[in-house]
Amino acid sequence: MYDADHNRTESRVSQNEIKISSRNVQVYYGDNHAIKDVDVDIEDRLVTAFIGPSGCGKSTFLRCLNRMNDTIPICRVEGDIHIDGEDIYDKRVDPVQLRAKVGMVFQKPNPFPKSIYDNVAYGPKIHGLAKNKSELDDIVERALKRAAIWDEVKDRLDASGTGLSGGQQQRLCIARAVATEPEVLLMDEPCSALDPIATGQVEELIDELKQNYSVVIVTHSMQQAARVSQKTAFFHLGNLVEYGETEKIFTNPQDSRTESYITGRIG
Amino acid sequence: MSQELSKHIVSSFDRDLEGIQAHIMKMGGLVETAIRDAAKSLETRDEELAEDVRRRDASVDELERVINDEAARVIALRAPAASDLRVALSVLRMSNNLERIGDLAKNMAKRTGVLVQLQPIDGAAASLRRMAREVELMLKDALDCYIQRDAELARDVIERDRDVDQMYNTAFREFLTFMLEDPRNITACMHLHFIAKNVERMGDHVTGIAEQVIFLTEGSIPADKRPKADATSTDARFSPEVGEVSGTED
Repeated sequence: MYDADHNRTESRVSQNEIKISSRNVQVYYGDNHAIKDVDVDIEDRLVTAFIGPSGCGKSTFLRCLNRMNDTIPICRVEGDIHIDGEDIYDKRVDPVQLRAKVGMVFQKPNPFPKSIYDNVAYGPKIHGLAKNKSELDDIVERALKRAAIWDEVKDRLDASGTGLSGGQQQRLCIARAVATEPEVLLMDEPCSALDPIATGQVEELIDELKQNYSVVIVTHSMQQAARVSQKTAFFHLGNLVEYGETEKIFTNPQDSRTESYITGRIG
Repeated sequence: MSQELSKHIVSSFDRDLEGIQAHIMKMGGLVETAIRDAAKSLETRDEELAEDVRRRDASVDELERVINDEAARVIALRAPAASDLRVALSVLRMSNNLERIGDLAKNMAKRTGVLVQLQPIDGAAASLRRMAREVELMLKDALDCYIQRDAELARDVIERDRDVDQMYNTAFREFLTFMLEDPRNITACMHLHFIAKNVERMGDHVTGIAEQVIFLTEGSIPADKRPKADATSTDARFSPEVGEVSGTED
């Protein structure tokens, strides 16, 4: 008898533990109801992609996961978001500590106007992760290696981070994000400002990062979602329309809105 | 995904997909005619028509090449997903099925060229033509349900392949009987048997096309085994040594 399991590609989803769990999440910007009743379980050690047209709420929801929306005065978040079973909106949770655990990489590479070394060392320093200079050196080297940029910058760690190419800057930002030993990495369109080669390098990196982290990526490129993620969530008008294995979403989606979006019929 | 989807935002994508499907329909039409004319030339012993069927197969082969190129182009340039991807994959498989049916019809016509020089076998050509007619109708329905995305009709077509298999079983027995009766019939009956087998294989390819319609509309190929009623290769009662072939009635 033919074993159908042999036919599965690498994107096959194993049964991972749930890292992030959201229930009845609502987000309002003033009167605008931007996220409606989102329930989702995000698994550990794999890549989850959020896709959907502009204004669908995918970035808003992503920013809920490390309380980045706290910085927007008119933004109000309701519902429950738990990471490792802990309510991240609990009053006792320090958002700064949370953001060390839930790192973030943005659309445009935004290195600090400091040296490459300081860019990466900044987080570990303020969180007190290194006892001395040599420990900090180790952390910086490890983070730069993990972000696959070490070989390119190891001889010029004192050079300014802003002097790197766009793709290098983005990988530097990823190194900065992983330096604090986060458990979740949020990426908001991390490749939209990069050329295809740099995009490929970042995608390769994302694939490696999923060994250690739960990676959540917002992307406008459906091909990128298909390439890098194992699970995909499709958002539309603030609703989570469909969530499932990426392979299934891109070959045989169950909701006609998902089908219309991924086949280029609605924008 | 059964409901009708709207047009693509990029309208040239729609035109690409429609273009390939139009080619499939054209190819299907040519193959239907090939089956009909091959069977007709056999029954009417029309060498010229048989030759014409053989000549026209080149257009079917050419269309298969065009469809394969276009499907590859759409996959490379448009990166189709979901139902669009299924269209691209289904046309590749369907063009392959149609090309095979075309080849089988051509082979029928080739054998007709030999058969017209031999003593005719009573009733054989007429029953092969009925069998070919059934396959031709199945093909027509398979192509119709492709256009209408009608999985129900596709299932009906698949079910009807059983009738073709049974017609083949009957023909197989008839030819055995003719050969046992008079060894001078052997050459003609061998050719007629190959033709019957060709038509039976065409039925299998039509079933393959109908399965693509189900794949297209429902996203997967039915897991249940297709009906198989061709017993000649597994059932010893079809062998004269066993002594059960006693006449042409069945």
